[in-house]
Amino acid sequence: MSLIELKKVTKIYDDTAVEVKALNDVDIKIEKEEFTAIVGPSGSGKTTMLNIIGGLDKPTSGNIVINDTDISTFKTDKMIDFRLHNIGFVFQAYNLIPVFTAKENVEFIMLLQGIEKDERERNAIELLNAVNLADRINSRPSELSGGQQQRVAVARALASKPSFVLADEPTANLDSVTANNLLDIMEKLNKENKMTFIFSTHDARVIKRAHRVVTLRDGAIESDKITENATANAT
Amino acid sequence: MLLNLAWKNIWRNKKRSLIIITAITLGLWAGLFSVAVMIGSWDTTVNSTIDRNLSHIQIHTKEFKDESLTSHFIPGGNKLAEDIRNYENVKDVTARVLIEGMASSPSSSRGVNIIGVDPSREKNVTTIADYITEGEYFNGIKRNPILVGEKLADKLGLKLRSKMVLSFQSIDTTLTYAAFRIVGIYKTESSIFDESNVFVRKSDLYNSMNSDFIVNEIAIRLNSSEDLDSTQAILKENYSPLVVESWKDLAPELEMMYQYLIVEMQIFLAIIMAALLFGITNTMLMSVLDRVREFGVLLAVGMKRGRVFSLIMIETIILSLVGGIIGMIFGTFTIWYFSDKGIDLSLFSEGLSSWGMPTILYPILPLYFYGVLTSMIVITGILAAIWPSIKTIKLRPADAIRTYG
Repeated sequence: MSLIELKKVTKIYDDTAVEVKALNDVDIKIEKEEFTAIVGPSGSGKTTMLNIIGGLDKPTSGNIVINDTDISTFKTDKMIDFRLHNIGFVFQAYNLIPVFTAKENVEFIMLLQGIEKDERERNAIELLNAVNLADRINSRPSELSGGQQQRVAVARALASKPSFVLADEPTANLDSVTANNLLDIMEKLNKENKMTFIFSTHDARVIKRAHRVVTLRDGAIESDKITENATANAT
Repeated sequence: MLLNLAWKNIWRNKKRSLIIITAITLGLWAGLFSVAVMIGSWDTTVNSTIDRNLSHIQIHTKEFKDESLTSHFIPGGNKLAEDIRNYENVKDVTARVLIEGMASSPSSSRGVNIIGVDPSREKNVTTIADYITEGEYFNGIKRNPILVGEKLADKLGLKLRSKMVLSFQSIDTTLTYAAFRIVGIYKTESSIFDESNVFVRKSDLYNSMNSDFIVNEIAIRLNSSEDLDSTQAILKENYSPLVVESWKDLAPELEMMYQYLIVEMQIFLAIIMAALLFGITNTMLMSVLDRVREFGVLLAVGMKRGRVFSLIMIETIILSLVGGIIGMIFGTFTIWYFSDKGIDLSLFSEGLSSWGMPTILYPILPLYFYGVLTSMIVITGILAAIWPSIKTIKLRPADAIRTYG
């Protein structure tokens, strides 16, 4: 059983004058513990694919099966609940809650899950430790650098103990050193915590580290390659 | 944490939040004070009418109510007044003789109501003695003293200690003339009252008319106006077929004025609340539009729509309550200050006195009204939050996250 399976997924945007086919009959399986990059030029459909995997958007046709559950027909609130317990998100613009500290941002997801205060605090500190932010737990996003904010976002994504993390252009706003630091942390989490990461990116730094690279063009999979990183990671 | 988040969100844009809090504060302050002034003016008018001459309850014969003739007197009226004086809740009772007659001076004459009173009892039931501006309350002139209103004295060209001739019909329908000397000139809040009522001793009227000790009106003062309805009901039952009326029956215009006041207050508050409603809705809409991407993220990471809805509701209610509480504190302080000092409206005394309204106004606001206004503010806040909240939960996270703002 695959972690994620897209079966003949098509997405057509028809809310504009011109109908746009963003995904065209896409079939793909993503397994547990993968470190996969979905790449392609602008408009190729990689963000749409990520949105559909994350349940943020619905396909026009086809099915999305996650952990053996078909989420394509989920109603809005059921989908929100499913996301809360199964999917972690990292966004290009970090998107932290500006009025909360780093710790509160991480805790917030666990609060939504109904976890008790003590456990929330303990887990949040552990996660911030894991992303090397132990000394910034009480800092607000405005007091953190871009790289630090993105690391808080990674900790937040992991707070719900998700099945996988979807990262949409996570390094796009970061300089090389910061981006590499972030990718180091993500790789470590992938290797040590067996966390599955799926990236939508056209950043060469991410592609270089990916274990699998899926290339999209005009809404269809142009290529799907396992890289040598996967072999190295396996050994 | 939701409350914590809501509170912190409010202060993200301090200027905007402070503007709307100030608007709510001013709106509520103005609302509270205006309502207190309205109720205060009505209450002062009612009290002064009761105090001046009406008292809480009056008793007459049915015939007198139909036609105000002295001959329609209450049988055993003085004895009845003695009986009622022993009732619980009754402070004192005065038995009056009422005659419609003519007051004449050497220069002019006017139609007046001649009210024959027992001065010592009358003092306990009404406050006419307190309105004396010249002379004394039935003191200083032994034979046929009379109290007249300032306006009547002016119209008749009379002064203190001037002689005034009253002409009226006796019980046996003969026309009686009696000379009185002005012992006191009074000035109440009502120029109409001052122009048309004169007070004399009942005993002097009995002598002039050569009549028995008749009584046309029994006026009852209660210890508390809260006992009005129950006491009226008991007296009605015990003294049927006499007509027992409360001040509300005797001065229906005051009750009508109260009903009008309530409608006026409702319209006034509705306008204030509507203005606040639009103000708060506008502020919350701006606040929501500023945070579209953030709400998109909250929905994406698993915050249910109900919780997002609640978050905006809580923010709006906090905003309304903060403004409401500050407004209430200011309003209470202002009302408290003026309820002690009074608002001097003597500039408009001429107009007010023709309406029988006092020139010093004491704003009052019943305690329950604070609760009503707090609820109204919260309800306004909730109503104001509905649209922005619905707008937010309808966001598609995939689109909202990509919004820049």
